[in-house]
Order: sequence, then C-alpha cells, then structure tokens
Amino acid sequence: MKFGWWTADPRRAAVSALLLVLAWGSNSNAFSATNKRAAKDKTQRQVAPVVNDTDGVAEARLIEVYKLIGQANNREALKKADLLVADFPSFQLAQLVHGDLLAAQIRPIKAFGDVPDDVARTASGALAELREESHRRVRALRERPLKGTVPSQFLALSQKSKHAIAVDASRSRLYLFENGASGMNLVADYYISVGKAGTAKTAEGDQRTPLGVYYITSNLDPKSLKDFYGSGALPISYPNILDSKRGKTGSGIWLHGTPPAQFSRPPQATDGCVVLANPDLQRIIRTVEVKTTPVVIATHLNWVAPQSTRAESKPFEDALNGWRNAKTSGNLQQVLTYYTPDFNSNGKNLAQWTPNLKTELDQTQGRTIQLKDLSYLRWTDATDTMVVTFGEVADGTRVGWTKRQYWIRQENQWKIFFEGVI
Amino acid sequence: MSQIRLPLLASLRMLCIAASLLVSAAHADEYADVSQLVRSGKLQEALTKVDQYLGAKPRDPQMRFLKGVIQRDSGKTTDAIATFTRLTEDFPELPEPYNNLAVLYAGQSQFDKARTALEMAIRTNPSYATAHENLGDVYAKLASQAYNKALQLDAGNSGVPPKLALIRELFSPTGAKAQRPATLPAAPPPAAAPVAAKPVPSLPGPVVSKGPAPVSATATASSIPASAPAAPASATTPTKAPVTASVPSAVTNSAKDAEAAVHAWAQAWSAKDVKSYLASYGKDFNPPGSQSRSSWEEERRQRISSKSKISVKLENLKVTVSGNTATAKFRQDYKANGLAVSSRKTLDLVKHGDRWQIVKESTGT
Repeated sequence: MKFGWWTADPRRAAVSALLLVLAWGSNSNAFSATNKRAAKDKTQRQVAPVVNDTDGVAEARLIEVYKLIGQANNREALKKADLLVADFPSFQLAQLVHGDLLAAQIRPIKAFGDVPDDVARTASGALAELREESHRRVRALRERPLKGTVPSQFLALSQKSKHAIAVDASRSRLYLFENGASGMNLVADYYISVGKAGTAKTAEGDQRTPLGVYYITSNLDPKSLKDFYGSGALPISYPNILDSKRGKTGSGIWLHGTPPAQFSRPPQATDGCVVLANPDLQRIIRTVEVKTTPVVIATHLNWVAPQSTRAESKPFEDALNGWRNAKTSGNLQQVLTYYTPDFNSNGKNLAQWTPNLKTELDQTQGRTIQLKDLSYLRWTDATDTMVVTFGEVADGTRVGWTKRQYWIRQENQWKIFFEGVI
Repeated sequence: MSQIRLPLLASLRMLCIAASLLVSAAHADEYADVSQLVRSGKLQEALTKVDQYLGAKPRDPQMRFLKGVIQRDSGKTTDAIATFTRLTEDFPELPEPYNNLAVLYAGQSQFDKARTALEMAIRTNPSYATAHENLGDVYAKLASQAYNKALQLDAGNSGVPPKLALIRELFSPTGAKAQRPATLPAAPPPAAAPVAAKPVPSLPGPVVSKGPAPVSATATASSIPASAPAAPASATTPTKAPVTASVPSAVTNSAKDAEAAVHAWAQAWSAKDVKSYLASYGKDFNPPGSQSRSSWEEERRQRISSKSKISVKLENLKVTVSGNTATAKFRQDYKANGLAVSSRKTLDLVKHGDRWQIVKESTGT
C-alpha cells in the first residue's frame, strides 16, 4: 500500500499561494544595495557574533527571506526566517512572515499575513499596519534615488556640516549622507515611523511630525531616557524660525529609538517624533554631529543632480551677494532694503534691530565682507524660503560671526526675515 | 503500511542495531509483560522489570523506549526527555524516539525543539505518518505564536499546547507474537507499526479562541425568547450586527448602557476625575505602544491633572452592540490649555457584569 501524503501535500499549494502574495519581493536587482550590506554583515558576523547592533541588518535579512519566497524557495526562506526571529524576536514584521512560512507548511497562504480569521478580527489594525510597514520598506528599497542625486532642498552644504539627514515621510525612510569635498554622498537609509496623525505639525499635541529644515540640537544621554525612547535621542530644532513665525506650537521633536518590546513601529505611530530601530539610531548617533547636521523632513523628497540646481539658485545667490556688497559698502539704507518689514530677530523688530546692524557696519568700516562656509537649504511650501548659514568675516579680521538667516521670496525678490548669530 | 525500515546498509551501526533487534525479538515475552503492566497502570512494577532487563542489556532500544514511555506516564518528563534523547543519539535512524521527544517538548510548550525533533523523525523516515501529523500541529502552533508576536496579542490566553501522539511502543511485540509463527524468530523484526498506539492528535484550534469573538450574536439570541430564531443567520453575520429597530429590546438597552458608559468616560475626563476616568478602562485594556498598564495610567494621570481645564465633547456617537462587546465610534472634540483637537475615535467595550468597560481605544476611523 502506498502512502498518499506526499502527493496530497498541502504545502505544494501553499508555496505557490505565498509566492503570489509576495511576488513583489522577488524581482530584479532592486535590492542590490541591501544585498551588499547583507553580504558585508555576513563577513562581520564571523568576527563578531552579535549582529543585533549593526544597522540595517534586520531589514536586509527580512528582504532576503522575501526574495527566497519570491524564488519559491520556501524551505530556505523558513530557515532564514527562523534565524531572523531568533535574533530579533521583537521584529513584528519578521514574526508575521515567519508565521506565514510556518502556516504554509500545513495550509495554503491566501494573503500576506494570513492570520486566522478570529485573530484578524481582534487585531485588524495591527495587521494593516504591519502590511503597510512591509509595503513601505519594500517600496523604499525598490525605488532608490539615482546615484549622485540629493534631495532638492540641499542647494549648498558647507564642509562644516559633515553629515546631513533627509526624511521622506511618504516612504517612511530616513536617508543619511556624508558631506565631503565631492559633495553629499548617501551612506545609509532606514525605515522610520512618523506621527500618528501624519506630518505637517502645527500645534502641540496634534500627533504630527513637522515638515521643514531643522538641525540636530543635542544628543540626549540614553541613561536619562525611559525605555520607550530606545537607545537614545537626538532632538531637532522644531519649531524653527519659520514655524514660530507661522505660530506653530509644540516642542520635543526627537529622532529616537524603539522600546525593547518593539523592534520597529508602524509607519504612523508616534506623537510627532521620527522613530528608528535602535541599531539604526545608534549608527546615526555615532555618526552625526550636534548643531551642524541638518535634518530635512518632507512628505516627498525630490532627488536632483546637484549641478542641475545652479541656474535655479542663481537669483538667490545674486540677492545674497547684493546684501554682502551692501554691507561692504557700509550704506545702512541700502542694507536695509534686503530686510522684510516684518523682520524679527529673537523678538526685535526691524526698527529695534537696526542699531545692531549699524554697530556691525561701524565695526567693518567698509572692509570687504566674506561669507565663509556658506550653506543654504531651500524650503518651499506655500512660501519659498531659504535657510542660510555662513561665517561672516571682514577682510583683515581674524574672527567673525557664524550667522543664520531666513530668506523669503516675495514678488521675485529674496528678502531676509530673520538674522541671528548662532 | 508505515514500516520502520531497516535497509540493508552495510554500516556497522546498522548491523549493530539489527543485532540488538534480533535479540529483542527473542525477548518478546519480556516486552509484552512490561507493556501489559504499563497498560494496567502498574508503572512502578513495570519500571522495576525494565531496569532489571536493562541491567543485563543496557543498550536494548525497545526496553529503553518503554522506559521512556513509563517515565513520561509517571510524570517524570525530564527523565523521559533524557531517555529519548539518548535513544536518538544511539539510534539516530529510528524516528520514534524523535517523535516522543517532540511530544514531550510540545507538552512543555517548547515548540521550536518539538519542531526540530519531528523534522529529524521525518528525515529519518519520510513516510512516518505520526510525525507528519504531529509536525503539522506543531507548525500550526508555531505559526499562531508567530502571528501573536507579530500582532502583539497576549500569548497568555493561547497556552493550550497541542495534544500530540506519543508512540507507546517501539515495536508491537504482542501483535507480532500473535501473528508470527514461533519458528521464525530469526526473521527481520516485524512491522513495528506505530499505528496501534496512535491516538488521533487533536488540533490545537485557533489561538485566540478565548477572545470575545463573534459568539455574541448567538449568545444574545439564545437568551432572548422565541422571537429571534435567526440562529443560522447569526453564523454568517459578521461581528457587528447593527442595532436596528427589529433587534430585541435587551440589545437596545445594552446599547444604551454602553453609550452611557462612553459618556461617563468623557465626563470623567472633562472633570479631570482621574480615578473614574481610569476606572472606565477594563482590566484587559491594552495600553497603546508597549506601555505597561501602570506606566500608561501614570502618564494619563499626569497628562490629565497637569491641565488647568479640559473639555471633551462627543459628536455623532454611534454604538454597535453585539452580546458582551460593543464598539463606539464618534468625533471627539478635545480642548485643554488652549489646544483644540478634533479627531475620530473608536472605543471597544466589553461588558463585565453590568459594567461596560473600555478594552481598546483607537483614533482614526
């Protein structure tokens, strides 16, 4: 008598169903960057068995599992998933895929995260969030920025900023750049979570993540933080000058980690902070500098080749040079034409601030003003603004000020609405 | 039939096993006696006999197997695990010790170990039906555990381990003896169908079956006299049977009570009555994120008491009741310290005794 179990094996059917569902995890070399990282991690692994601290590893290993499923290699996928959840037990998305692969051993899988009906009912929200997280991770890895391009906000970034960060909320992705002599270079990118209510923060408690150009203001000691914030926190400068001008409220917007029980959080889960998995956050904390690292948060990042923005930024550069020349000339009235009527410098309006300007002009006495280490980041929403940072030094002097200005484009004229020493 | 195959490989190990099996066949009486004692529950006596036998023939797989079964039946799980583990080490070709090891591990909710053991059993003997069935159960259990971890459901209420089939005897000496002419003791050991001792494994059933699932509609129907005979309908209707005019008054009352509970919650919040506010949440309320109940309560207490004035108004409140569970959806207008936030909110409530309590709070639709 022959045994029928092999031919009647439900796993056969299950494999193809799972395949269908996860087919988007399969194709092309879209993951090449991740693969490289994964390959590198493997070699590192032999040296140091503790992999949980290396950034990006958990996601790279998850994608490896997806790819194996895409290749109909469920057996290998299950093996890798076993190891993945053993190393990252609180990585819920990995648990979900692991569950599917285990369930596929005994029944057909009809959908990604094919949990039993009663569980799906009890936890429909959590399930939808995990599916969305998966979708966003895969999408961000598939639709890579072109090599050599940078987010359009970074028109000029001086060598004083050794690193830069950009967040694309629609992709749930944070991009980390190194800024060297040859410009900005993307070195890593990570899945992130933003506010429960999404982005465009306007008020305290609105559970939204702010959009704009910010700087990292400090690095909080993890020992001083509750478990909830994970391995550390980097507060950013929300509300910035533009935000305050617009009457936005709230504070305490941080880049921070995840609590022990959650390796990563759903795409929209925070009270407004940008949250990363702890190993990813740690890499950022180890890498970036406080004060000089800009953090651009946008709904969609627009990636452009740095040269392509030259023409576009010319009107601004002309205006900035005009201001510099006016200052060099020492003509107060001419300098004042570069400031908006609603100018405000830390509480002083233009009339109150004019004496400061006059003092500066008296000090430089017609010497040529040099702008050193110039950075300008453009922020365009309902208005078109520029966040400008530079060292202002008069020829023949050794020291100057590091200044930050906010410029706004009004009727095709760039004008300054904030100026301060940082 | 499923057979324990001992292919004629020329390996020393195999010869060694074959030899011990042949010897075993000659001692079928002893096996039968021990089995008999086990069946009649005389475990101590059986164990004494087994130990006596093993004193003379310490490697004998059949007797060691029986010893493992006796240890397991006497509740000495650790000893049984040790016995079966050693058997798998000494006779890696035999699937049954792996199977029983898996049964013991599963009984301790060590499903990963159970899985590994069963996969070994199947690798040893690909047509081993019991191990396949057991492995199916273990996969199901592991899958539901993984899903629970994925969705952060409380695994505590899914603790019923699957009942896996234990193989009671390595070979079936009684059956063999009855069928086999005494003159053929040198024949290859017979059949060893594990079938005889194989209770059908009972599937563990869906994990969260204890949850406040859709039972409700039927439950209320049955508690209401004749007028509502729609039992079959309730099976197909999803959880949230909308409260319509045709629904018996018991349900409408329930809806009113639930609605009152939601209003009381908003009122306590507005009044900064933290105690009543927190009491609106049931024991099984899951704090957001992965906060503990106490840290969540502390946070709420602080948030509420730090406001000078709070106003919470509910609009478009809609309550759907089904049995002991209810869902309240509304727009919440929250004002405090100059901040005004209007948001959609959903509260899931469960009735404990005569009190409706919040078990889940979510914003959005």
